[in-house]
Amino acid sequence: MTTLDDLMKLPGAMAAFEFRGSGEMLEHRIAYPDRINESTLDLLAHMCAANLSIATMQARGWEKVTGMEGFYPIQEFTLIGFDWSVVVSGLQREQYKQAGKFSLPPFMGVVLANESADYEAAFGLLERKEPVP
Amino acid sequence: MSMIRRLLALDGVNVICHFRDDGYLIEGYGLMSHNDMGRLAQFARDYRRIAQGNADQLAMFSGMRGWTPPHGWIIRGATQSLCGVANLVCVVDSTGAPLNEILMELREVSHW
Repeated sequence: MTTLDDLMKLPGAMAAFEFRGSGEMLEHRIAYPDRINESTLDLLAHMCAANLSIATMQARGWEKVTGMEGFYPIQEFTLIGFDWSVVVSGLQREQYKQAGKFSLPPFMGVVLANESADYEAAFGLLERKEPVP
Repeated sequence: MSMIRRLLALDGVNVICHFRDDGYLIEGYGLMSHNDMGRLAQFARDYRRIAQGNADQLAMFSGMRGWTPPHGWIIRGATQSLCGVANLVCVVDSTGAPLNEILMELREVSHW
């Protein structure tokens, strides 16, 4: 199972965090406390939870209007800021949902410095297939 | 040849659209009807504003520099993903597409 410590090994990783669907932050790791702190991560977690919900609504609407498929469920959301990016994933939760589990794992996210960010590596790690217990 | 059309040459890129600040489709290429490209352009413009607003608020509340103005966003679905940079949006395969390269190209083309 991908852990916060795995995410912190990504190129340019500044912080990694877990959060509930409500946005409440659970665990976190910070590599550069002078650049990003727990309070900012908490805000970021809430922002990402909101964006995942908005994107999910849009994917539902888009598929209904256009008849296209493949957008829902939303697996990850990424905001590429001016210097920093955040990548968050709910894929593991989806796998648990599809397996009929009621108790779901948290969302996971990582904050990356744009100058060395490798988005493919971040998605690859967050999408690593794990057996649902 | 349109400058944005070259993005279709990248693996996994299915659709590329360029839109005005009001969301009106300027040009679009790829595997999608013109009507749906118009909808995609409107969606991308709205989502860009949402992302911009969220980044602005995050920066204001946290006092952390470096989030604004945002360069772009990615929404990754089960098999299809959307990537937006400036007034460009593209639909790409969620698996196998060279996202780092696509983002770099989008940024470069957005400056033209």
